[in-house]
Amino acid sequence: MKIDRRCFLSLAGGLVVGHLLSPVPWKMTDDIAIWSQNWPWTPVPEDGPVRWKETVCTLCPGGCGVRVRTIRDRVVKIEGKEDHPVNRGSLCPLGYSSIQYLYGPSRVTTPMKRTGERGSGEFEPIGWDAAITEVTRKLGELRQNGKSHKTAVIAGDDRGTVPYLFKRFLEAYGSPNFIRTPSGRDAHETAAYLAQGKSAQNVGFDLENAKYILSFGCGLLDGCGAPGYQFAAYSNFGEDHKLVQVEPRLSNTAARAEKWLPAKPGTEAALALSMASVIIDRGLHNRNFISNHAFGFEDFTDDNGNMHKGFRSLVSEYTPSKAAEITGIDARRIESVAVEFARSDKPVAICGYYESRNTADIDKTLAVHALNALVGNINQAGGMFVFPEPDYDLPEVQKDNAASAGTEKPRADLAGSDQYPQSRYLLNLLPKRILEARNNDLPVEALLVVDANPVYTLEESEKVQEAFEKIPFIVSFSSFMDETAKMADIILPDHHFLEGSRDVPAPAGVGMPVEGFSVPVVDPQYDTRNVGDTIIDIAQEMGGSIGSSFPWDDYGDFLEKALSDRYRDLTRNGYIVNRDRVSGISDAFETDSGSYEFYPTRRHTADNGDTDKLPAYREIEIPGSNTNNAVALVAYQSPRIASGAVANPPFMTKTIDSKTLKEDKLFIQINPETARNLNLKQGDEAVIETPAGKATVRIDLFEGIMPGLAAMPAGLGHTAYSRFIAGKGVNVNALLRALPDPAYGMNTAWGIRAQLTKA
Amino acid sequence: MQKIPSHTKARHFGMVIDVDKCTGCASCMVACYSENNVSFRDEESAKMLSLNWIMVYKLTNGESFPDTEVCYLPQPCMHCDGKEFGKPPCVSVCPAVATDFDWPTGIVSQIYTRCFGCRYCMAACPYHARQFNWWDPVWPADMEKYLSPNVSARTRGVVEKCSFCYHRFQLARQKAYHEGRPEEIGEDEYQTACTQACPSGAITFGDLDNPEHEVYKLKQDRYAFRLLERLNTNPSVYYISKRKWVHRMADNYLEGEVPAAFAENEA
Amino acid sequence: MTTSAFPEGVKRCSGSQFILWLLPAFLVLLIAAYAMFRVWGFGLNQTNMNDAYGFALWIWADLAVIALGGGAFFSGFLAYIMGVKQVKNIINFAVILGLVCYSMALLLLGLDVGQPLRGWFIFWHANIHSMLTEVAFCLTIYLGVLIVEFIPVILENPKIQRIRFFHHLSHNMHEIMAVFAATGVFLSFFHQGSLGGVPGVLYGRPFAFREGLFIWPWTFFLFTWSAAAVGPLFTASMCRLTEIITGKRLVKDEVYQLLAKISGWMLLTYIIAKSLDTIYWATVTAPSAGFSLMSFYTNNPLYGIWILIAEIVICGFLPALILITQKGRENRRLLFAAAALAIIGLCINRWVMVLQTLAAPLKPFDEWFMYSPAWTEVVTTIMPVAVGIIVISLAYRYLPLFPQERELNP
Ligand SMILES: Nc1nc2c(c(=O)[nH]1)N[C@H]1C(S)=C(S)[C@@H](COP(=O)(O)OP(=O)(O)OC[C@H]3O[C@@H](n4cnc5c(=O)[nH]c(N)nc54)[C@H](O)[C@@H]3O)O[C@H]1N2
Ligand SMILES: Nc1nc2c(c(=O)[nH]1)N[C@H]1C(S)=C(S)[C@@H](COP(=O)(O)OP(=O)(O)OC[C@H]3O[C@@H](n4cnc5c(=O)[nH]c(N)nc54)[C@H](O)[C@@H]3O)O[C@H]1N2
Ligand code: SF4
Ligand code: SF4
Ligand code: SF4
Ligand code: SF4
Ligand code: SF4
Ligand SMILES: [Mo]
Repeated sequence: MKIDRRCFLSLAGGLVVGHLLSPVPWKMTDDIAIWSQNWPWTPVPEDGPVRWKETVCTLCPGGCGVRVRTIRDRVVKIEGKEDHPVNRGSLCPLGYSSIQYLYGPSRVTTPMKRTGERGSGEFEPIGWDAAITEVTRKLGELRQNGKSHKTAVIAGDDRGTVPYLFKRFLEAYGSPNFIRTPSGRDAHETAAYLAQGKSAQNVGFDLENAKYILSFGCGLLDGCGAPGYQFAAYSNFGEDHKLVQVEPRLSNTAARAEKWLPAKPGTEAALALSMASVIIDRGLHNRNFISNHAFGFEDFTDDNGNMHKGFRSLVSEYTPSKAAEITGIDARRIESVAVEFARSDKPVAICGYYESRNTADIDKTLAVHALNALVGNINQAGGMFVFPEPDYDLPEVQKDNAASAGTEKPRADLAGSDQYPQSRYLLNLLPKRILEARNNDLPVEALLVVDANPVYTLEESEKVQEAFEKIPFIVSFSSFMDETAKMADIILPDHHFLEGSRDVPAPAGVGMPVEGFSVPVVDPQYDTRNVGDTIIDIAQEMGGSIGSSFPWDDYGDFLEKALSDRYRDLTRNGYIVNRDRVSGISDAFETDSGSYEFYPTRRHTADNGDTDKLPAYREIEIPGSNTNNAVALVAYQSPRIASGAVANPPFMTKTIDSKTLKEDKLFIQINPETARNLNLKQGDEAVIETPAGKATVRIDLFEGIMPGLAAMPAGLGHTAYSRFIAGKGVNVNALLRALPDPAYGMNTAWGIRAQLTKA
Repeated sequence: MQKIPSHTKARHFGMVIDVDKCTGCASCMVACYSENNVSFRDEESAKMLSLNWIMVYKLTNGESFPDTEVCYLPQPCMHCDGKEFGKPPCVSVCPAVATDFDWPTGIVSQIYTRCFGCRYCMAACPYHARQFNWWDPVWPADMEKYLSPNVSARTRGVVEKCSFCYHRFQLARQKAYHEGRPEEIGEDEYQTACTQACPSGAITFGDLDNPEHEVYKLKQDRYAFRLLERLNTNPSVYYISKRKWVHRMADNYLEGEVPAAFAENEA
Repeated sequence: MTTSAFPEGVKRCSGSQFILWLLPAFLVLLIAAYAMFRVWGFGLNQTNMNDAYGFALWIWADLAVIALGGGAFFSGFLAYIMGVKQVKNIINFAVILGLVCYSMALLLLGLDVGQPLRGWFIFWHANIHSMLTEVAFCLTIYLGVLIVEFIPVILENPKIQRIRFFHHLSHNMHEIMAVFAATGVFLSFFHQGSLGGVPGVLYGRPFAFREGLFIWPWTFFLFTWSAAAVGPLFTASMCRLTEIITGKRLVKDEVYQLLAKISGWMLLTYIIAKSLDTIYWATVTAPSAGFSLMSFYTNNPLYGIWILIAEIVICGFLPALILITQKGRENRRLLFAAAALAIIGLCINRWVMVLQTLAAPLKPFDEWFMYSPAWTEVVTTIMPVAVGIIVISLAYRYLPLFPQERELNP
């Protein structure tokens, strides 16, 4: 057979055509492609009618209004509530991420009882009834043995109804130990108490209306305080607004500020006092305020005939040139900022805004408050306010003998003791007291932790951990498996804020008396309960006078009664602004003099002498030794890293750049000059060692940080929560050590000396 | 130029970002993840493996302490018009028409079910605005519940990028249609998630060709510039900064060349 | 009389020796198969590619292998269209080499895409403006052509020849081979060009971007030209390598010298064109986007100006000058040293056009992007070599590739 060309071509052609005509290969190819477009393991979100619901974010003290996009029973997106007075439409990244916490892997989904070693993280589910019974039994035992005062509550806040219920519980049960976690808020409260005679009230700054903001190290745009509020205020800045940032590091706030004054850390008091001296020298102070509302401005003789130096004499010692020496800021810049500040229409000076770990420094805070007083900007639009706490109209607590005896006992944290009579809470002293207890006479034998994570947030975490290991009984109410919950014996998980109701008291630091209210937008996803209900249940199960001090059906019933006439507006609008509760300057002062006390007569001093009552610059010797390769380690806040409240949800960690965190190692920022001295390069691995601990880090060279400093982001180095945050970086608290103020017990250390060596 | 169907009103959406206002907070990034079902992993520090439709870069002026300055620069997809209008660098190269220039809106689309992951578009995009799904997305615990039905979840092996929240445009158009005003979509009826989220008000979004829209005015600001403008990609995202060094960081200049906004002053 | 499986009148080694020789190649193939399984099974996260390196080692290998495989088309062009008789003595070998190169290139492409199951969208939803579409079409069709060109070579195996049908088929195919060769040459000219177009049209990437003629950037022409110049040198070098390994002369020196002469002149003209292109790019195209030449060659650990000098001078002008001189060609060592340099130069060219293009920072605040391939990429990139060894060994053993073999090894 001879195959000719025709035969060959038709054969080839036939093959091709036959193939093409047969549907099999084509259909299969197509089917495979379609399958690859609909992989069964790729979720297809279900559609449905969209409903927007409104509530308030409680993930930080900010209290922003949120709108929640829901589809059927799912929360799909969170956005800022446009007309909310705090945040006016937008949120911080944590707020936008909060849905990840609702559904996320770090939630405690049901009451748990510890099964393994303390801290091992081994738990078994235990029903609500059994869990509550176990807690009441333990607390009852202690009380029966006359040790009710050895029960303590650590709470992230002391305002609002949930902390109130815990305080009330302790009162009826018999313990003085309600302890708020330490923060810079302590210093503001103390300053307000000393200079204005207002106790336990909120200090706020009206950033919305202020025209000249002189910030002594507040990370206003770094996530400090109520970030939503500050961002909203900043977004409305016009040409006539000025922000001046005093900070040793070019933070996001400093970067956005009109002027950046990189004063040496810990010298802010000298800077503020020197600015005061310039203002007074040039007669730029508010004479009306000084003559009508000030005490201790001029030298004076007290009732006993003792001469006292007044504020004017004091500050005259802080000439700009002397302050320049102390702070490292050019004298002329100090003068010009002081003059601008005083001449501005609405100037406000702030420091350690709301809370900040850096500013529990009473002198600095008094000096900064004094700047506001000098320009008369107290309880005025655009100035500094002191707001009363929300009050609740509720029946008296019923106390039996045991309760009365217990509440009379001294506090476990020494707050209010002879040594620290004017301090309200001193949690930072507690771990040491527990570790130093003799004969097993522990100051705390049962601990309830609500809205706080002290094992992570207190300095010297390792010591704190040790101390907590010694506490016989720990109950956590956390919604998340945080470091403290991991140490607990019983976890009674609270709802996520999108699942429950709660009042959100005026975020401290916010310049308006706003009160918010969060409402559930979805059904509880897991077997959790509102912490308010849980504490009421515990009290009622304990019975007796404790039970009868809690005469409410549930937390909802309690809220309605506690908030009384505010309840309706709160539940309807989600917030109220209690403008009527803000007084003018007339009753801004409850001091003995009825004035702003530049010379705070009530100030307790460690030696009871009276020369050091005036705010002054006192050099703080931070812990650690100053060797050749020493740097001063400070913590810094980044808006992309949640450093208080909850730990980073995955979305936030995703935003962190690779010069902050890389392959689970965090970077510390140092100046290239510091790096040269220490022989370090960008990206190098290094060991940082402080008296409190040691860690391996990486080096990020940043021109914008003062030579000699090392800055470490706060909020990393978690060991609990989930794999999305645990094990990433270092907890800066593990490297820090508190330095108690001799008269107030609060931490005054702005940093710690650390040895930094190439790994 | 391609003919635009006469029944559709031509728009040209774009953004103006005032980098002198941006604080680097990253709210825009998170809002975008959440709006657009962007997946995440437990390891996210290698940014060239991480999905971010908008990335906020930190720039420094390089001066030593204390003359250092920092600027944050958020960067979504630029929705380039291209050297030749309608031909962004990434679109003309895609062999499968999985990414396209939408004439009625000026938005550069991405069709995940069409894309077969050759990544030519990524090579073509000078902004690193496109990201590849190296892994299968996984939403741990109950997180699948928060996924939005308006944006499909991507699979491993395809490229994704910022869409200017195109689904929001579709929703706005639908709404307008139902309300009997099919061609009128108000400026605030279609805003992107990142614009809305920005707490500093640094981002403005709208129709660049519509004199009534804010972006129309802002893009003409004396200090407005675009990123890598000299490559002729014609981005629809503009930036504003009064700082010369920021302009210098936004494009490449030979020795002696000066950014346009400052050229007059120097002359 | 039983027919030997070997081509008529030639000697081949023993079966066991042959198997031993192929063993390492099969081992590589096995590891590569495992790597492919990982990549197709778990996805491209098994490589070290990332968003900065969307194209990496594989695409470089593709470009390089296709350019080198271009010896097939250019030899075909010389043999069938220009009627250069001498080339026929090496054309079968060139076709096989081309076939290996092209099939491996397609396999690597199949590995490289994120959704291989939808790879055919490139044909179905083709975007005619995309250089990659052009590449895909031409490449696939050309592979078909190569297979058609290869079939008659297979049919020439003595055992197969005994079957009448195949005997006639082979005869008929030979008659029409010129048509296929011509089609192949056309397609090849075109897709080598489109490959050059792939980086050349990237106007967002000033390192690669070139102006050009109509829709084709200069790289379009330069890629074709360089493949045509270096491809035959690669064929010749591989042929020479086969000679060394088998210890037999397979092709006469005059064939090598002829190919070398043609390639030499092609290379010289190419490298002149390439130099002009580089000068224009460095002085006009890149500066218009704000880049000076040195911005592409400083501040990084790898890409120094040496790479440009290596490509153009050491691996361009130098071999070209050797090859155009008769003395250079007549010295066999010099000839193949020059060929090796030219091949390296071509590989460098493809490397920089792909990798350096992506590595160079564009935004002033970007840094150079560096990358090192993962083992999965390395082993699959070596795979073509292993496949080449196996296929060529088999072909050499069983097919009459070299018409001059008998004459040279009496
Ligand atoms: N998204 C989010 N936002 C949050 C939180 C959260 O968890 N998530 N937590 C909230 C809470 S509870 C708090 S308290 C705030 C904390 O926020 P901040 O009050 O801002 O606290 P820090 O981060 O300690 O301090 C801010 C800056 O002080 C600088 N600094 C350090 N030492 C000194 C010094 O000695 N002098 C001066 N002048 N500056 C110094 C550092 O560089 C740092 O940038 O953030 C709140 N905001
Ligand atoms: N060295 C050092 N010390 C610090 C700080 C620091 O940065 N460094 N920061 C200081 C500052 S500013 C503050 S504010 C404090 C913060 O320290 P803490 O008061 O301990 O507060 P958070 O870390 O915010 O812990 C709140 C915990 O409550 C849990 N939680 C979250 N949501 C809910 C809920 O809805 N219900 C309940 N029941 N629990 C919930 C979370 O798991 C979280 O771990 O630490 C202070 N101490
Ligand atoms: S600032 Fe605080 S309250 Fe506001 S959204 Fe962020 S976490 Fe929530
Ligand atoms: S930015 Fe990149 S991805 Fe976006 S349109 Fe331009 S080239 Fe395409
Ligand atoms: S990766 Fe997808 S979108 Fe990009 S060029 Fe390839 S097919 Fe087109
Ligand atoms: S426009 Fe939409 S898709 Fe693009 S970055 Fe912003 S939020 Fe993301
Ligand atoms: S949300 Fe606004 S301020 Fe924050 S990083 Fe994005 S653009 Fe900048
Ligand atoms: Mo705080």
